[in-house]
Amino acid sequence: MSPSIDAHNRNDDRFENLRQELRRGSLPLAVLAALRTEHYGYTLRKTLADHGMAIDEGTLYPLLRRLEAQGLLASQWREEDKRNKRFYRLSPDGKLILKQLLIEWKSIHTSLEDIF
Amino acid sequence: MALVDRYLHAVKFWLPRHQKDDIIAELSEDLRSQIEDQEAELGHKLTDAEVEPILKRCGSPMAVAERYLPQRSLIGPALFPIYSVVIRSLIFYFLLPWLLLWMGITIFSPDFRADHPGAALFASLEPWWLACTYSLFFNTLAFAVLDRTQARSRLVNDWNPRALPAELDHNRIPRGGTIFELTFSVATLVLWVQLGAFRSVFHFFGLTITLSSRWPYFFWGLTVLSLAGIALACMNLSNPRWTRLSASLRLGIDCYSWGLVYWLCRANLLQSLSGSDVPSTEAAAFVNSINFWMRTSAIWVLVIGAIVLALDVRRILRIAPVA
Repeated sequence: MSPSIDAHNRNDDRFENLRQELRRGSLPLAVLAALRTEHYGYTLRKTLADHGMAIDEGTLYPLLRRLEAQGLLASQWREEDKRNKRFYRLSPDGKLILKQLLIEWKSIHTSLEDIF
Repeated sequence: MALVDRYLHAVKFWLPRHQKDDIIAELSEDLRSQIEDQEAELGHKLTDAEVEPILKRCGSPMAVAERYLPQRSLIGPALFPIYSVVIRSLIFYFLLPWLLLWMGITIFSPDFRADHPGAALFASLEPWWLACTYSLFFNTLAFAVLDRTQARSRLVNDWNPRALPAELDHNRIPRGGTIFELTFSVATLVLWVQLGAFRSVFHFFGLTITLSSRWPYFFWGLTVLSLAGIALACMNLSNPRWTRLSASLRLGIDCYSWGLVYWLCRANLLQSLSGSDVPSTEAAAFVNSINFWMRTSAIWVLVIGAIVLALDVRRILRIAPVA
């Protein structure tokens, strides 16, 4: 492998790591925002992917459980299309936290715009 | 779907008991939804070969299950830096020197090899293995316990900037050490001359000790060493910081002194011992055992000398060049 291709791949790896880190930090906000409407896991994933926030099942379901354990989400098992599915929605606490997080996110965005 | 069931079964194995069924039901629903979507797109039931990439993308069963578990570590990030320093010190200042010492003795001491033939040579390393195992195990255990007790918060959170140790100045020469070296060198020189140590025959408590004809070499060698020690100590008293010159002189003096001690050990200097109450056969055996013991000790002198010289070289390398 030539040195320039090697350096290019190294840059790609570094960018990919930082990109994932950046997106990982935004995922709880995206999930909370998407769950203003009730979803079960698979449709939530599709909704997020449609909005450019693709997330794999191995990341989404543990995150949903953590958010639920913190009291930000409420869930219930229900039958739909002859299959049991677990539906999630924002809890009242979740709505409050989402509002605060959105303000924080906008503040970060504004600060970054200023820095750039 | 057998492949999906096998996959879910494998994930289930690693999950916490009270959440197993719930997590598997949800994951199963997601995977089946993905498969159904793809089947609708392709217009036929998926084969195992087509299901496989879906499962692969989901991740290995252990990795998937791990994401549902709380983050766990034996020693957390707060204590890990201290643990790392302790383990590194243990390896570099205790276990590694021990191993090097064993290698030195094995390579340079024919007597040691003769005493430990074949596999017994490696068996002689057993105490080292035990020291490795015990020290690493108990240190790790101690830190793991510390991490789970209140001691961690005291160590990490209760601190005071004023209580932090001062920055270590590697180039400073402690005056106490210099004064000790000066006193020791002067005392050695005075005692040496007073004893009349340049002679080869000594009389103590009715015993006559005869040294070999090479003894005067050691006498003059030690005299020169004491004088050099006095000169360096005076130099260090006037400027209590290591310079390239003083550090190089220290290296030279240490090289000379350890070489002299090595020579002393190998020279069979004790020639005979006699006295009215000592049978000649016992005296001869005693002389032989003293000379043998000194020859055996030579390897230790070599190893310790090598460590001292390595430290001297490190001291020279640490001195920043004058800009």
